[in-house]
Amino acid sequence: MTESRTSLIHRPAVRWAVPGAVVAIALGAAAFSAVTADASPTLPPRNAAELLVDVQSAAVTGMSGTVVQDAALGLPELPVHIGGQGSSNFSALVSGTHTLRVWYAGADQQRIALLGTLGESDVVRNGSDVWTWASDNNAATHYQLPTGSGDTAPAERPDSGAAAMTPQQAADAALAAIDPTTTVTTDGTAEVAGRSAYELVLGPKDTASLIGQVRIAIDAEQHIPLRVQVFAKDAPTPAFQVGFSQVSFDVPGAENFQFSPPPGASVTESTLGGGDSAAATEPTEPVMPKTARPAGVDEPKIVGTGWTSVLVASMPTTSASQTSASGTATADAAAPDSSAPSVTGPDNAGAAGRSGSVDVGAILGSLPVVNGNWGTGRLLQSTLFSVLITDDGRIIAGAVAPELLYQAAGQ
Amino acid sequence: MSAAEASSPATMVPAVGTGQRQPPATSRRLSTRFLRSELKLIFGRRRNIAGMAVLAAVPIIIAFAVRYSGSRRGGGDGGFLSQATNNGLFVGLAALTVELPLFLPLAVAAISGDAVAGEANVGTLRYLLARPVQRTRLLAVKYLGVLIFTVAAVLLIAVVGVGFGLALFGAGPVTLLSGTQVSTAVGLWRLLLVCGYIVVCLAAFGAIGLFVSTLTEQPIGATIGVVGLAVISQILDSVSQLSAIHPYLPTHYWLSFGDLLRDPIATDQISHGIVSAVVYGVIFLAAAWARFGAKDITS
Repeated sequence: MTESRTSLIHRPAVRWAVPGAVVAIALGAAAFSAVTADASPTLPPRNAAELLVDVQSAAVTGMSGTVVQDAALGLPELPVHIGGQGSSNFSALVSGTHTLRVWYAGADQQRIALLGTLGESDVVRNGSDVWTWASDNNAATHYQLPTGSGDTAPAERPDSGAAAMTPQQAADAALAAIDPTTTVTTDGTAEVAGRSAYELVLGPKDTASLIGQVRIAIDAEQHIPLRVQVFAKDAPTPAFQVGFSQVSFDVPGAENFQFSPPPGASVTESTLGGGDSAAATEPTEPVMPKTARPAGVDEPKIVGTGWTSVLVASMPTTSASQTSASGTATADAAAPDSSAPSVTGPDNAGAAGRSGSVDVGAILGSLPVVNGNWGTGRLLQSTLFSVLITDDGRIIAGAVAPELLYQAAGQ
Repeated sequence: MSAAEASSPATMVPAVGTGQRQPPATSRRLSTRFLRSELKLIFGRRRNIAGMAVLAAVPIIIAFAVRYSGSRRGGGDGGFLSQATNNGLFVGLAALTVELPLFLPLAVAAISGDAVAGEANVGTLRYLLARPVQRTRLLAVKYLGVLIFTVAAVLLIAVVGVGFGLALFGAGPVTLLSGTQVSTAVGLWRLLLVCGYIVVCLAAFGAIGLFVSTLTEQPIGATIGVVGLAVISQILDSVSQLSAIHPYLPTHYWLSFGDLLRDPIATDQISHGIVSAVVYGVIFLAAAWARFGAKDITS
């Protein structure tokens, strides 16, 4: 009996069955978790209006969790440069997959941390104190909020790159755009971060928009958005999504919101309204820009309405002079504080991610030149939006095909 | 003599593989003796000592370079290297970070690739198996040796780094990635956690090396193959267009040890990394067992 078993186990086919079984179990477990993650929980039906009211009346006293943001915007040649997954720079959020941790304990205590591979950028608000911290350059900035502005979402203030990044804020921005141009429906349920959620679907009525639909998963119990997905027209997978991968509705402890700059860090005292970082002028969110613009720049104007509205803005004068040049000259001029050359290459990726801002000039130089009866400029195209930067210093952006931008430029 | 044995390898398999005649009372004593002789081999070989000297040299170089070149803020791995001027503990962390992509995998691959193929290459494997030692036990002892070496190598880097760091820069509160400060004791504890996580990752890598080592009789070939695997995995991991396969790469979660240096510790990637390491480790240990148990030992 034992002899036959022993000799059996020495047969190659039998022995190889063991690692084979291990592989099968591992793959099976992975597939099972993928299937259960996609499961649609059964919830009592709820229409779109009820969901919107739920969201408005959501009263969460505290929460914390991990947010994963995934951008597949189809930007030309950008992903490698602007920091892939490893970058802990907020401006890197325009491409790739990124992980953020969020803590929320009422109106005056919030914290967002963007996790880089071996770095972290934080925005911490505790009462009227707002700190930003970047471990990559060991720098902290302190903002003092004026008293009485307690209802202002703090993460929007210091760095607009983070503005759309929590599901709550991203959904607020999307809901603000609801008007007669939009179809609002519900579409079943979803499971996000292990929680049951309703799916609210917003779609443009105007087919000229590049956006196919925006899906917002709303927690069935707590009524806050857990995930926002933006689909390009006719695309099966989202071009942009931000959602919780793990969430807890316990009020996080006060120690999470206490920040004092470590010794040796460079600390900047800043007042709100001026001295915004370069990220604020970037076209990271051309659909609904709400950034405070630096002084000396014309008010941006909106051409068109609803989902196909196009923003026309003039660039800050310094940037305008840079874009009127072209090629490598532009790239060099835009990076005066960076010792790294502006050439593209894998080695440079880390340097670009670490420097304080994205090398805008280098990106502009790599964009295709377009021209028409409106003039010439450079065109940035993605699956969700188009941006036209004209040589006379205008930025024209919208969630539309380039032709509509040319029309707006000609006006 | 080798011709006679090579002509009838199949008959050897049950004869040396079962180890039935071995008295149960002496089995435990025998196994520690085997392990001790294995460890003596690993840590006594001159080439391995030289390798560990290279591993230990990196933190020393970092410590002196940072000490005598002034501020290195913003350079490669600048986060850790510039922190070293504030606190000696970061020399250990910086050294681990620098050595994790290549030097540590190289060391583990050299040991694990040598484990079986090395014995086969110099012709001692069949004598080992003829003692008699069960093949499964031989594999277990070999892997235990790889594990112990991995722990020793990681701790060596950390201890040398912290030692020289404290000597050159002194101790003090440790600044975490989140910008908050913790005491030196907590900092040391975090460093220990980092070492533990790196050991877990490299243990899975050692299992791959052990498997490759059973495939060949050329230890150099096994080592080069395994190091090549680590390098290819890291290259694939840096190509953002391949992000769909990134979570399945064996090296993908290695640098997640940074999550242990946040406040509070982020467990998402760490737990994924541990699961990934366990899955890789079990699969390749099972494969090594399957391959080695059914292998014809001809040299």
